[in-house]
Amino acid sequence: MRTLGYRCLWFFLALAILVPLYAYFQSNLWSQRAEAREYLEAGYVVPSQFSRILACGYKGLLSDYQFLRILTFYGSRFAEQQQMVDEDWDYFVASIDVITDLDPYFIDPYVLTEGLLTWDAGRIEDANRLLLKGAVANENNWRLWYYLGFNSFYFMKDYVGGAEYLMIASRVPGSPDYLKTLSSRLAFYGGKTKTALLFLKGMLADTDDALLEKRLKTRLLALEGAVLIEEALVQFRDQQGHLPGSLNELVSSGYLHELPVEPYGGDWLFNKDARVFSTSKFTHR
Amino acid sequence: MSKIKLSKISKTYKAGLFKKKVRALTDLSLSVDAGTVYGLIGPNGAGKSTTIRLLLNLSRPDRGTVRIDALPVHESLGAIGYLPENPYLYDHLTLKELLFFAGRATGLATSDIRQLMEHLTATVGLDHVRGKSLRTFSKGMRQRAGLCFALLHDPSLVILDEPMSGLDPLGRKMVCDLILSLKKQGKTIFFCSHILSDIERLCDRIAVLHQGQMVREFTPDEITELRQGKMDLETEFIDVVERNEVHA
Amino acid sequence: MIGRIWALALVTFKEGLRDRSLYGIFLFALFVLGLNVLVAGFFMRDLGKVTVDMNLSALSFAGLLLVFFIGINLMAKDIDKKTIHLVLSKPFSRGEYIWGKFTGLVMFVGATQLVLLVFSSATVAVVRWMYPNFFAGFSWGIFITAVFFVFLQHVLLCAIVVFFSSLTSSSFISLIFSLASYIVGITLEEVVFYLRTPTANEEVAGAEFLQRSLEVVTWLVPNFAAFDFKLEAAHGLALEFSHLGVTFGYACLYIMLLLILASVIFSRREFN
Repeated sequence: MRTLGYRCLWFFLALAILVPLYAYFQSNLWSQRAEAREYLEAGYVVPSQFSRILACGYKGLLSDYQFLRILTFYGSRFAEQQQMVDEDWDYFVASIDVITDLDPYFIDPYVLTEGLLTWDAGRIEDANRLLLKGAVANENNWRLWYYLGFNSFYFMKDYVGGAEYLMIASRVPGSPDYLKTLSSRLAFYGGKTKTALLFLKGMLADTDDALLEKRLKTRLLALEGAVLIEEALVQFRDQQGHLPGSLNELVSSGYLHELPVEPYGGDWLFNKDARVFSTSKFTHR
Repeated sequence: MSKIKLSKISKTYKAGLFKKKVRALTDLSLSVDAGTVYGLIGPNGAGKSTTIRLLLNLSRPDRGTVRIDALPVHESLGAIGYLPENPYLYDHLTLKELLFFAGRATGLATSDIRQLMEHLTATVGLDHVRGKSLRTFSKGMRQRAGLCFALLHDPSLVILDEPMSGLDPLGRKMVCDLILSLKKQGKTIFFCSHILSDIERLCDRIAVLHQGQMVREFTPDEITELRQGKMDLETEFIDVVERNEVHA
Repeated sequence: MIGRIWALALVTFKEGLRDRSLYGIFLFALFVLGLNVLVAGFFMRDLGKVTVDMNLSALSFAGLLLVFFIGINLMAKDIDKKTIHLVLSKPFSRGEYIWGKFTGLVMFVGATQLVLLVFSSATVAVVRWMYPNFFAGFSWGIFITAVFFVFLQHVLLCAIVVFFSSLTSSSFISLIFSLASYIVGITLEEVVFYLRTPTANEEVAGAEFLQRSLEVVTWLVPNFAAFDFKLEAAHGLALEFSHLGVTFGYACLYIMLLLILASVIFSRREFN
C-alpha cells in the first residue's frame, strides 16, 4: 500500500508539471501557427498529373480539399486586408486548374474563377481557358457558356466570339429566355458599364459563397453608382450641349440628388465619352 | 513454508464488451509448499488458466489474496518462470536473441546469459538451432524454446500450462525428465495438464478444479495408492466431476 | 528498470527490422526517389523545389507506412497473439512495457528514416549536380531540419499507436484509431482556421459551436500540420529557432502525457 501511495504521488506530481507545460506549449504552438498563416505564402500546387495519382482514388476528396484551401487562402487575404499579388493569382489559377482536372464537374471553382479572376485579377485569358474547360465538360450548364460570352463581350471586346458562346448558352435546355436576345443587347451596349450591371445581377443570383457574394455586391454597388452618374452625365450633355466641369456640378444643377458612394473608397472620375471611373479602379486597397 | 498461497479467491470476467459476466473462480483457496510438484487438473473452462493468470499478475482477483513467497504477485515475478500453452514467441528473432532478451529482462549479466543459454538449449536439444529464427521452428521446438525462455533466469517457482501438448513421446520424456531434475534442484513446480498419466507420475499433490471450485485434493498417501494402481486417477477424476455436476 | 526497457526496445527494434514489408516500403521510397531524378527535367524553373518536395514527401509517406503497417504490429500483435503473457511473466512493470515498446518503435522508425535520408540526400545531390542552376535557395541545414521534424511527427504517431494498443487487444482497432487520429491531426489546422474566417461564420451553420468543439479537439489531438516544414525546405526559407523550439517542446510534452496515460490504463488492464 505504501508503494501504491508513492506511485500515485509521483503520478500526480508528474501531471502537475507536465499538464501546465503542455498547455503552455499547446497554446503557443497554435498562436504561432496563426501568426505563420498570416504570412502564408501562395502555396505550391502539385501539378494535376501527379495529384491525380497521389489522390489514390480519392480524386474528388482531394479536389474538395484543394478548393477548401483556396477558399481559406483568399478568405484570409481578404480578412487581413492584404492585396493578392501576382504570385497569389498564379497559385489561384494553378489550384483551380488542378481542382477542375481532378473533378471537372465541380462547378463552384468555375464560379469562383468568374467572380475573382476577371474583375479582381484582370486575367481574362486564364479565366476563359478555365471556363472553356468547364463548359466543354459540362455542356449542359448554360452558366459557364454565359460567363464565357460575357467575358468575351465585356473584357475582350470580342463580339463575334461572345455572341457564339451566348448562342450555345441559349440553346441549352432550361436556360433562361432572355439569353436569346441578350446577345444582341450586349452587342449594342458593348463594353459599357450597363452590360456588367446586367451580368453581375445574374451572377449574384448564382452565388453561394458568402465572401464572393459580398465582393460581387460591392462591385454591383460601384457599378450602379457609375451607371447613375453616367446617365446623369448624358442627360446633362443632351440638355446643356457640353459635359459638366466636375461631378459636383451635376449635383448643384440638380441632375443628381447626391453623388453615390464609391464603395471602394476612391474618387469618381469621368472622361469625354461620359464613361465613369474611379481612382480606386474598383479594387480593394 | 508455502510457496504459493491463494486465499478465498473469487474472479468474474466479461467475455466480451456486451456479453454476460462469466464466473471463473469461486472462493478458491490453495497452498503449495516449497519444493513440491503441484498438479492442477480439471475439465475445460474449470478455471485453471484463470488461476495461472492470477499468479502472473495478468489479471487480478475480485476478492481474496494471492501471495507468492508471502509477497503480492507483482513483487514476486522475478522468482517465476512461465510457459504458456501455445507459446507465441517473437517470430523474427533467433532463439539466441529471445533468450538474451529473457536474461536481460531478469537482470542477468551478459556472460551469465551466454553460459545459461548454452547449457539450457543443450538440455532441451535445441543447441543446433540457436541462430535460427523462431519462425522456422516446429510446434515441439517452440514448446521447448518456450521452456528455455521460462527457465533461463533459474526461477524458484515454475508455472507450466499444458507443457506436454503437441510434443512427441521423445519430447514428453524430455520434459518429464526436466521437471524431475527441477524438482531435484528444490524448485516448486505448478502445472496444469490434461494428460493424467503424466500428472500421476510427476506430482506430489494433485487438485481437481471444477467450475471454479476445488472439488478434490489428493493427499500424498492417495497419490502413492494411485501409483501402486490401487486407485485410478481417471475414474476418480470423472467421478468427482460428475458428482459435483449434480450438486450444481 | 532502464535495463529492462532497453531489452524490450531492442527486441521490438529487431522484430521490426526483420519484417518483410520493410523491403516493400523501401522499394516504394526508392522508386519515388528514382522517379524524382527522372521527372526533374520536366519542370522549367522550380526544379530544386520540386525535388525537395518529392523527397520529403517520400520520406514522410514511407514513414507513415512503416508506422501503420509494421509499427502497429510490433505492439498490437503482442497483445493479439498473447506474446505479452510471456513478456509480462518476466519482472516488467506495465509502465516499463509501454516505454520499452515505444522506445523500440522510435528506434525502428529512426533507423529506417536514417537509411532513407541517406538515399534521399544522394538523390538531391544528384539532381543538384545535374541542374546546378536551379538550387539557389537550397540549404542542407533546412532540409535536414525538415526531415527531423518529419521524424518527430512519426514519433508522435508511434506514441499514439502505443496508446491505442494499450486500450484494445485488436490490432485492427488500433490501426483504425491511429489512422483516424492522424487524419484528424493533419487536417485539423486547415479546418480550424477556415472556421475562424469571417466567411465561415456566415456560411457554415453552427460555425461557432463547431469552432468550440474543435477547440477541444485541438487539445486532444496533436496538430500534425505544425511539423510540416516542407515548404520552407523547398524554398530554402530560414527557420526561426523559437518556432522550432515550440514545435519540439509541444511534441515532447504530448508524447510524455500520452504515454503516462497509456501506462496508467495499461497497469489497470487485465489479460485474458
